[in-house]
Amino acid sequence: MKLLTHNLLSSHVRGVGTRGFPLRLQATEVRINPVEFNPDFVARMIPKVEWAALVQAADTLNLEEVPKEPTQGYEHDETFLRKMHHVLLEVDVLEGTLQCPESGRLFPISRGIPNMLLNDEETET
Amino acid sequence: MAAAGAEPGADPAAGGVRFFCTAGRGLEPFLMREVHARLEATQVEYISGKVFFTTCSDLSSMKKLKSAERLFLLIKKQLPIAASSLRKGKILNEMQRLINDDPGSWLKAISLWKKLLEQDTKGGKVSQRDTNPLKRKVEENEIVSAKKLKLEEIHRESHREDQRIRLPEDSREQGGALTRADGLQEQGLQNDLVKTADTQSQEDLTFRVSCRCSGNIGKAFTAQEAGKVVGIALMRKFGWKANLRNPHLEIFVHLSDAYSVVGIPLFRVPLASRTYIQTAGLRSTIAWAMASVAEIKAGALVLDPMCGLGTTLVEAAEEWPDVYYMGADVSDAQLRGACDNLKAAGLADKIDLLKVSVTEIPLPSQSVDVIISDIPFGKKFKLGKDIKSILEEMERVLRVGGAMVLLLSEDHHRHLRDCGGSSIPPTSQGNITDPEMRMFLNPDKRSGTSDTASPSQKASSSQCPSRVVPCGSLVPVECFKVSLGKTDAFICKYKKAPTSGPPPAGCHEPGAPPEMATLPESPRLQDSL
Repeated sequence: MKLLTHNLLSSHVRGVGTRGFPLRLQATEVRINPVEFNPDFVARMIPKVEWAALVQAADTLNLEEVPKEPTQGYEHDETFLRKMHHVLLEVDVLEGTLQCPESGRLFPISRGIPNMLLNDEETET
Repeated sequence: MAAAGAEPGADPAAGGVRFFCTAGRGLEPFLMREVHARLEATQVEYISGKVFFTTCSDLSSMKKLKSAERLFLLIKKQLPIAASSLRKGKILNEMQRLINDDPGSWLKAISLWKKLLEQDTKGGKVSQRDTNPLKRKVEENEIVSAKKLKLEEIHRESHREDQRIRLPEDSREQGGALTRADGLQEQGLQNDLVKTADTQSQEDLTFRVSCRCSGNIGKAFTAQEAGKVVGIALMRKFGWKANLRNPHLEIFVHLSDAYSVVGIPLFRVPLASRTYIQTAGLRSTIAWAMASVAEIKAGALVLDPMCGLGTTLVEAAEEWPDVYYMGADVSDAQLRGACDNLKAAGLADKIDLLKVSVTEIPLPSQSVDVIISDIPFGKKFKLGKDIKSILEEMERVLRVGGAMVLLLSEDHHRHLRDCGGSSIPPTSQGNITDPEMRMFLNPDKRSGTSDTASPSQKASSSQCPSRVVPCGSLVPVECFKVSLGKTDAFICKYKKAPTSGPPPAGCHEPGAPPEMATLPESPRLQDSL
C-alpha cells in the first residue's frame, strides 16, 4: 500500500462518517520500490492529497520530513516533487495495520494489500 | 465501398495503403474511432466484425491498435458470391475468379506487403517473428491461444459470421480452422511439382491459404475445400508454392453472404494478445474499449471496485499513464493474480490494490473521478438487491461530473433499464455516417435492441424490488452492445449529476438523450486536472 492510497482511504465502519479519516497507520514491514520519476504526474496528485494526514503518516514511518504544506509553485519545484514522488509512490507498506480513528477497528495490511472488509455486524445500519 | 469490382489492396499514389482489422462484434465503432485517432485513417468503413481503412502509418503504429483482433493488408473486398443461386461448379468458378480476374491487385498487394515488412525491419521495432517467414512454432502458440479463445466463445451465435480466431462451424467439425489446409498440402505439393517445371520465372514465394466460409457458401463448401480451390488457383496463376509449415505468406479469405474479403495477415500474434498482460481476465479489447469511453484525464483517480485480475486497470494504465488507479476485490486469489499482473506489466507504481467489498468502499464520498467495472455475471449474483447496493455505493464515491463505465450482462442491463436506471437504447451502431455502411450491418445487429427487450423482460421486471431508480443521480450517457463470445454484454456509460435540484432528465424518461455538456463539474477537482 502506497501512502497516496492511505491518504485516500477512510474508515467505512457504520456510523463513523467523516470522523473515519485519516486511518492510523502502523507498519511492521516497509519496502521502498524505486519508481520512475514523473514530475507531471506527481504535480497532478498533490491537489488530491490531504496534507495533514500525509505528514502524520510519513512521521509514523519515520520518513524524511514532509514539508508542512506544498511549496508555492511546486509544479516547477523538482526537489519538492522528487520528495513527494518518493513519499507518495515509492514507499510501500507491506505488513501492518490501519486503524479507524473513531471506532478503533483494526484493518490488517498483508502483502501490501489492506484488508478493509467489514463483518456483517459492522455493516448493519 | 459497395463497388462490385475488385477493390485494390492499396493505392500509394493516393496517399495510403488499404488495410482491415477484425474486431469482436460490437467493437467496430471503437475500432473505427481508434484508427481515425491513432492512424489518421481515411475511408474508414465497416462490416460486421471487420473495419476497413486507409492509412500511411507504419506497422509499429498499427501495432498499437487496442480494440482490434488482427490486422490485414487488404487484397480485395467485393460483393459476395451468390452461393444460393449457383451450382457448386459455378461457385468454384467464382472463387477462381477472385484470383484470375484481377491478378494485378494480388501482385500489387504482395509488393506492398514486402515493402511494409522491409520498412518495419529497418525501423528495428519489430521482433524477428513478425518479419521472418512464418514459423510453425509461433503458429502453434497461436493455435493454443485461439483454442483458449474458442473455449470462451463457443456457441455464441447461430449464424456463422465470426471473427477469424473463432472457428467456423464447418471446420470445427473437421478438427479446427487452423488445420484447415492439410488437404491443401497434399494437393499443393503435387501441384507444386508440376508447376515448378514450367514457371521458373515466377517468384519463389511460398504461401498457405486460411479460408473461412460462412452463410450459404459455408453450407456448400467447407473451409478446406474452398481453401484448396483458392490455393490451386494461386499456384496456377502466380507459380507460388504451397507450404503449410513455414510459408512466407499467408492468404486469408473470408467468403460470406455479405461479402468476399481477401487479405494478408501482418502479424503472427493477434493484436489482441497483449505483450504486457500475463493472465487476462476480461478480454483485453473489451477492457480497453471500456476505458476508452471513461474520459480518463491526466491526474485523475480511477477505481475498479471489482477488479478481478486487473485487466481493465492494466489496459487503462497502459493507455493513460499519468493517472492513479485503485483496484478492489474481495477475493485473495484474484488480488494475488492482479498483483502479479501489475508487476509483470510494470504498472505497480500507478495501481494500488485493496481487499474491499464493492458495497462498502472505504473512500470518502465524491473522491473518485472515474469508475470502471465489469459487473459479475454469475447466477450467484442476485439481480435485484445486489446490483442496487453496488450502484448506490459506486455512485456515492464518484464525484459529480465523474464518469462510470460498467460492463453489464444482458440481464443486468435489462433490469436497470426496466427500473428506469438505464434508459437509453444501445448505441452499438456507433458513429455511422455513411448510409451505405448500414447495408453491411448484420440483421441481428440492427434489431439488437428489440431482441433484448422481448421475451424475458416481464420476468425481470417482476424481480425488480421497487420502483426506486437504482442509480439515483447517475445519468446514462451511452451504451454499446458487445460480444463476449458465448454471451453478449453492454458497455454502459453513466455520468453523475448533482443530487440537489430536479432529477436529471433521462434517468426516468426512456429515450430522452441526456445533455452531458451541461453537467457542472466540481471546481476543486477540475482545477487539479
